[in-house]
Amino acid sequence: MNEIILITHVLFGMGCILTTLWIFVDVLHASAANLPRIRSMCRASAVVMWLAFLIGGYWYVSYYKVDKALILKGPWPFAHNFIMETKEHLVITLLLVVTYLPIAAAGDLVADKGARRVLLWATGLAAVLALLMDLEGGLIALGVKVASHVNSP
Amino acid sequence: MENSGISKPTVSYGLALAITSVVNAILVVAKEESPIVMDLMKKITFHHWVTHCAFVVVLFFGLGCLFARANGGRGVNITASRLIRSLVAGVVLGSLIIVGFYGTGG
Repeated sequence: MNEIILITHVLFGMGCILTTLWIFVDVLHASAANLPRIRSMCRASAVVMWLAFLIGGYWYVSYYKVDKALILKGPWPFAHNFIMETKEHLVITLLLVVTYLPIAAAGDLVADKGARRVLLWATGLAAVLALLMDLEGGLIALGVKVASHVNSP
Repeated sequence: MENSGISKPTVSYGLALAITSVVNAILVVAKEESPIVMDLMKKITFHHWVTHCAFVVVLFFGLGCLFARANGGRGVNITASRLIRSLVAGVVLGSLIIVGFYGTGG
């Protein structure tokens, strides 16, 4: 169950990365033709991000204690002390940025360059933060792995 | 006009996002440095992180609503460039505070 929750969390997180990158490219070429798609993708991005956040949050609160203890006993204690600590708080910022995307996409993106730039910057921030969360998640998993190797008989 | 197409919610929630990102970071430092704040956050819900998330999300939507009602319901008057600068500065500053705090052994 633990692994299924984690995999689902990662899948929705990857969905967030893909949708934000998609939106970024689509907004660069915003027109009346792709405006409905931009808005749909912004809503989809927010939905997958909330799902990744809720599932990951449930796992963190319910299961992480065991991994945390293992990491702290292993050779990579920074995988918790720095990586997980920053991840669990930066992800709140990411959640808000992605929640903001459908709001920013409601403006007149075709006619107004300013509205388009706001959405581009917000999407760029979301994509960078989402990629960072993915990297941090990988490093935390590695922290558990190296600790398991060291602590195994 | 550069901001003619920027809707009131875009401006209101954009500013709310900038402020909330910094408040998120300040709350990290406050709870990690003060056992009183940490204990209080644990008491409000069953986990400090759950309280943290709930507070920040509620603050984001609360500030967004508040900014939308400013100027007699017309919202905050700001150009797209200033909104972008505020948004990026808030998110980057909040992120750097968190990374810097834990990076220095916080």
